Amino acid sequence: MLNDITLGQYYPADSFAHRLDPRTKILLSIVYIVSIFLVKSLFGYIPVVLYLFLTIKVSTVPMGMMVRSIRPLRILLLFTFVLNLFFGTGERILFQWAFLTIRHEGLMNALHFSLRLIFLVTGTSLLTLTTAPVVLTDGLERLVSPLRVIKFPAHEMAMMMTIALRFIPTLVEEAQKIMKAQTARGADFTSGNLKQRTKAMIPLLVPLFISAFRRAGDLAMAMEARCYHGGEGRTRLHVLKFRKDDAIAGISILVLMAVIILVEQWL
Amino acid sequence: MPLTMENVTYTYQPGGAFQATAIHDVSLHIADGELLALIGHTGSGKSTLAQHLNGLLKPASGRVLLDGQDINLKETDKRDLRFQVGLVFQYPEYQLFEETVEKDIGFGPRNMGLSKDEVDARVRRAMDSVGLVFEEVGQKSPFELSGGQMRRVALAGVLAMTPRILVLDEPTAGLDPRARAYLLKDIQHLHEEGTTVVMISHSMDDVAQLATRIAVLEQGRLVTTGTPEEIFEQFDRLTQMGLDVPQASKLSHLLRDKGVAIPLNYQLEPLADALEQLLKGGACHAQ
Repeated sequence: MLNDITLGQYYPADSFAHRLDPRTKILLSIVYIVSIFLVKSLFGYIPVVLYLFLTIKVSTVPMGMMVRSIRPLRILLLFTFVLNLFFGTGERILFQWAFLTIRHEGLMNALHFSLRLIFLVTGTSLLTLTTAPVVLTDGLERLVSPLRVIKFPAHEMAMMMTIALRFIPTLVEEAQKIMKAQTARGADFTSGNLKQRTKAMIPLLVPLFISAFRRAGDLAMAMEARCYHGGEGRTRLHVLKFRKDDAIAGISILVLMAVIILVEQWL
Repeated sequence: MPLTMENVTYTYQPGGAFQATAIHDVSLHIADGELLALIGHTGSGKSTLAQHLNGLLKPASGRVLLDGQDINLKETDKRDLRFQVGLVFQYPEYQLFEETVEKDIGFGPRNMGLSKDEVDARVRRAMDSVGLVFEEVGQKSPFELSGGQMRRVALAGVLAMTPRILVLDEPTAGLDPRARAYLLKDIQHLHEEGTTVVMISHSMDDVAQLATRIAVLEQGRLVTTGTPEEIFEQFDRLTQMGLDVPQASKLSHLLRDKGVAIPLNYQLEPLADALEQLLKGGACHAQ
């Protein structure tokens, strides 16, 4: 039951995309999202598809994994498509049966919004597929660190994210262990109505919380023992540096944006 | 109610990138009333094997039979099976969750659907058999107890289901010497009362003290089974597997190497007796 939690869907490889600075990739993703929202016509998606294929190729992530990243969205996609399809407003009726009416605008909207959702998710999941979670938080910390001027706790936030990510697999394993142990005492996690099932979670959650607190305490102690005292004056083993590749990637996304704007202008 | 494993193989994440065979073609018969110790190096598959005994894990191939009945058939009542084969995990004190010791120990019996009086009686009996005084700790929160006491509460939580077969995964790991001695005594007591016990252990001294039979696992395979005498005789083989031998075995081996005529002993008491005889004999010669 807990095995299907796939977190940190990082795909380890050594590609152009993997080697990019995480800050570049985060900014790239933001510009990519903005570009997608600039698309108004279906033709506008042609450069997006081309760009997406190119980046997937460059990242060496298998197509199968990309498709899998959309799978959790299939219900949402279906809803988006069906609702837009039947509730469009406009003059041109394409199909009519009983109370169901498909209009031209509805069909266009359905395609438009579904494609937008698909491209948004696949594009941004490339970020997490090519960037290890720890590197990602590192990049995020550096990106938001200018906000420290207004007392934004950039380092603390990044550290908390790193620790949280680090503990997810540990806690999943722990949860499985406790579940087994309580099952051995006749606990039943899989049957009964909602109320019974919720109650059945108590023997799992209480020990899990206790263990999480215990681990947090241990970790805090271990960090203090190694003289951790916050981000102030802390140096890094891997200093993030922008390189030529980052410039190339940056230019590529700007080209995409420009092409989209041109396509939208001319069509 | 004998428990038998027939050619059991289990694979973690079959087909996945991290596929690993944890136990391979294990056949093991656990007879009524025995205290079987399961020994083996870390990662040899002991815990995986233990989880097959009450159906928490289902073999990839092979069968597990309780009283000749395959426990993994659909029609088997898995919960009922777990009440009959009690499994105490490693560090079981981390599973305690109730407000009071009494309630926590009663969790298993309540799941069995027993009456309140019966649950009550069982909790008292279970606490008694692990040397906890109901009036003293029954109403305490399990989290204010010492580590050793928490371990015994957890053990009592399984005992309260009155399993006929008790499977213990490293019951003494991480306990201080006194708590360990108490716990071993509890286990011995349970065994004497007729409970079949399967005990996984790294401590050969614990095994030497309690086991009536020993099964040795190495890299998921059952290498050998035998009485403690038979197993601990194979001093070199065990050492090769990265396993320890009891202190008494070590000492008697060392003495024999130095030319002292002493029988091989794996328990301290008989070794002391043998030494006593030898020394007294020696003293006579000196006179």
